[in-house]
Amino acid sequence: MAETSVFWLRVTLALYSLGLAHALLTVIRRRQRLFSAALAAFAVAAVFHLVSIVEEGLAAGRFPVSNLHQSSSLIGFLITALFLAIYWRYKYESLAVFIFPIVFLFTLVASLGHPVEPWSSPVARSSWLLVHVVLALLGYAALFLTCVAGVMYLIQERELKSRKPRAFYHRLPPLGALDELGYRTLAVGFVFITLGLVEGSLWAFWEWGTRWIVDQKIVLAFVTWGIYLALIFTRWTLGWRGRKAAYLAIAGFCCAALTWMVNSGAHSFVKR
Amino acid sequence: MNLLLAGLSHKTAPVEVREQLALPEEALPAALGTLASQPGVAEAFILSTCNRVELAVRAEPDADAAAALAGFLAAHEKFAALQADQYLYRYPQRQAVRHLFRVAASLDSMIVGEPQILGQVKQAYAAAKAVGALGGTLEDVLNRSFHVAKRVRSETGIGQMAVSVSYVAVELARKIFGTLASHTVLIIGSGKMSELAARHLRRSGAAAVFVANRTFDRGVEMAARFEGRAVPFEQLFDYLAHVDIVISSTGAPGFVITRERVQSLMAARRHRPMFLIDIAVPRDIDPGVHKIDNVFLYDIDDLEQVADANRRERAREADRAEAIVEAEVDRMMARLKAHDITPTIVSLQAQLERLRRSEIERARGKLGTLTPEQEQAIEALTRGIVNKIAHTPITQLKSLATHPDGLHLIDIVRRVFNLKDPS
Repeated sequence: MAETSVFWLRVTLALYSLGLAHALLTVIRRRQRLFSAALAAFAVAAVFHLVSIVEEGLAAGRFPVSNLHQSSSLIGFLITALFLAIYWRYKYESLAVFIFPIVFLFTLVASLGHPVEPWSSPVARSSWLLVHVVLALLGYAALFLTCVAGVMYLIQERELKSRKPRAFYHRLPPLGALDELGYRTLAVGFVFITLGLVEGSLWAFWEWGTRWIVDQKIVLAFVTWGIYLALIFTRWTLGWRGRKAAYLAIAGFCCAALTWMVNSGAHSFVKR
Repeated sequence: MNLLLAGLSHKTAPVEVREQLALPEEALPAALGTLASQPGVAEAFILSTCNRVELAVRAEPDADAAAALAGFLAAHEKFAALQADQYLYRYPQRQAVRHLFRVAASLDSMIVGEPQILGQVKQAYAAAKAVGALGGTLEDVLNRSFHVAKRVRSETGIGQMAVSVSYVAVELARKIFGTLASHTVLIIGSGKMSELAARHLRRSGAAAVFVANRTFDRGVEMAARFEGRAVPFEQLFDYLAHVDIVISSTGAPGFVITRERVQSLMAARRHRPMFLIDIAVPRDIDPGVHKIDNVFLYDIDDLEQVADANRRERAREADRAEAIVEAEVDRMMARLKAHDITPTIVSLQAQLERLRRSEIERARGKLGTLTPEQEQAIEALTRGIVNKIAHTPITQLKSLATHPDGLHLIDIVRRVFNLKDPS
């Protein structure tokens, strides 16, 4: 990858991170704030992104889709361009909650194609890893509650739909409370796993270069993250809640549990 | 202890009899006075509500409680005229304690678990206390009954489930939305039942109630009764997109609200849940609406069904409550027994006699052979000492038995003479 191209890509990523921050704040606070600032950063980032891709193509002498990192970069850029076009035409603000994190993640993967020197201090390295583990576990804990709230929601919903209340009807909390609990824990959990994911990606990149990206655990983690992003997006834009949201929350946690179990806790490349 | 309770309730007497015998509040002190002044009566308590009249007395240990109650009833004109004796139940001792506990815990109520009865018992207690008719074991039992009622309420769900249709509607709304604070209600048409439900919902915290009636003025009239707001019937569907609870009872021959209509509303509502109550006959709301996600439709039969289920649940909880009452009765009886003077006197005498005998046995060796006269003299001497020692505690026990302090005295005597609790 060309030196200048990498530089521009990192600038792009820094700007996209504002978009990610905006999305996370929106999820937590349930109100879109600082949207115009995030959007401006996003638009500027799109220009730098294009510059980076063009330079990469010129340096390589062909269309830059020859590896995972290059194609991630291109996909990220295309989504950005498409989003900006849609926004310019239809003003779909709520779409940003979904688009910003996705683009950030693609660009993150793209920018990790060029290895850098690992940190020399072992203390810094191990504490960075510790932070990753703590963030991931906090995220899983919150999402476990989301899953429990989802299961309880489904049971209580069935009781109410059956119109023949049995023991659960009397003993489980109201649907409204369960839905609220589900969303709150989801918001917190999502922020933690997003930070954990970004943090972990950077760590793996510094420590292990580029070969970690095909690790099953990483792939599963990305899939899990995708499910939760979908859960937030469908709620945010379509107002999906209740039963559908509960099913997605349960699926998300199953995937999260699978992610955690693969290689029993640690990534395959760490053992190597 | 010599407790006796006589009474009649909705279970034994028809309402015509109960209303004749019920004592108005202002007549209560006089009646308590009469009851307490019957020969041999140490404590008296009268509970009179629209569903029951209960008379409870504690008589002196050797007095006839039944005769005292009969004396009181004979002095009551209406009682004789109604031949009310046939409706009367009589519970002595343990059964009286159990009955008082069950009444206070609302297990004997017409609607099991209804909360008013405890307040009524407390009022009756205060009235009896005010005229000085209490102050002993009966007061102890009544005090304990408040505790039992509280325990039953907090340890079982007996008072929690709605058993009337309009309250079931509120309960369901709570089960769906949690708090009702930010939720609004729309009433379509009019009717007693929807008005009642709207009132309950409003009192439970619903944010606003709208009324849509084909005749706008009637809507205004109805809305005024519970701080609601009348809205034009033509705007029904605009409001449906926003309100959370709908109660429909129009006289329309067909469906006022169709499945397609609600389906299309849900996206606009961003799938916020909706609770629809259809109390119209023929029905106003397409039953297919219930199949839509986040929409809950209940008709009058469904509400009735929930009320039934709640009644069954209450009955199950009542079984647990009965077990609590039974355990509390056991505890109360054990306490009363320990506090009873008769066993205390008996064991005091037995204890002293045991001491006397063992001391004579010990001294016998040193005394050598004694003539029958000497033997008798020692017997008389020791017996005399023991009786002198026991005399004051026993007379004090007997005289203080009717007094609340008697309980403490019994405790003290048992401790001083190291008497074991009767088992």
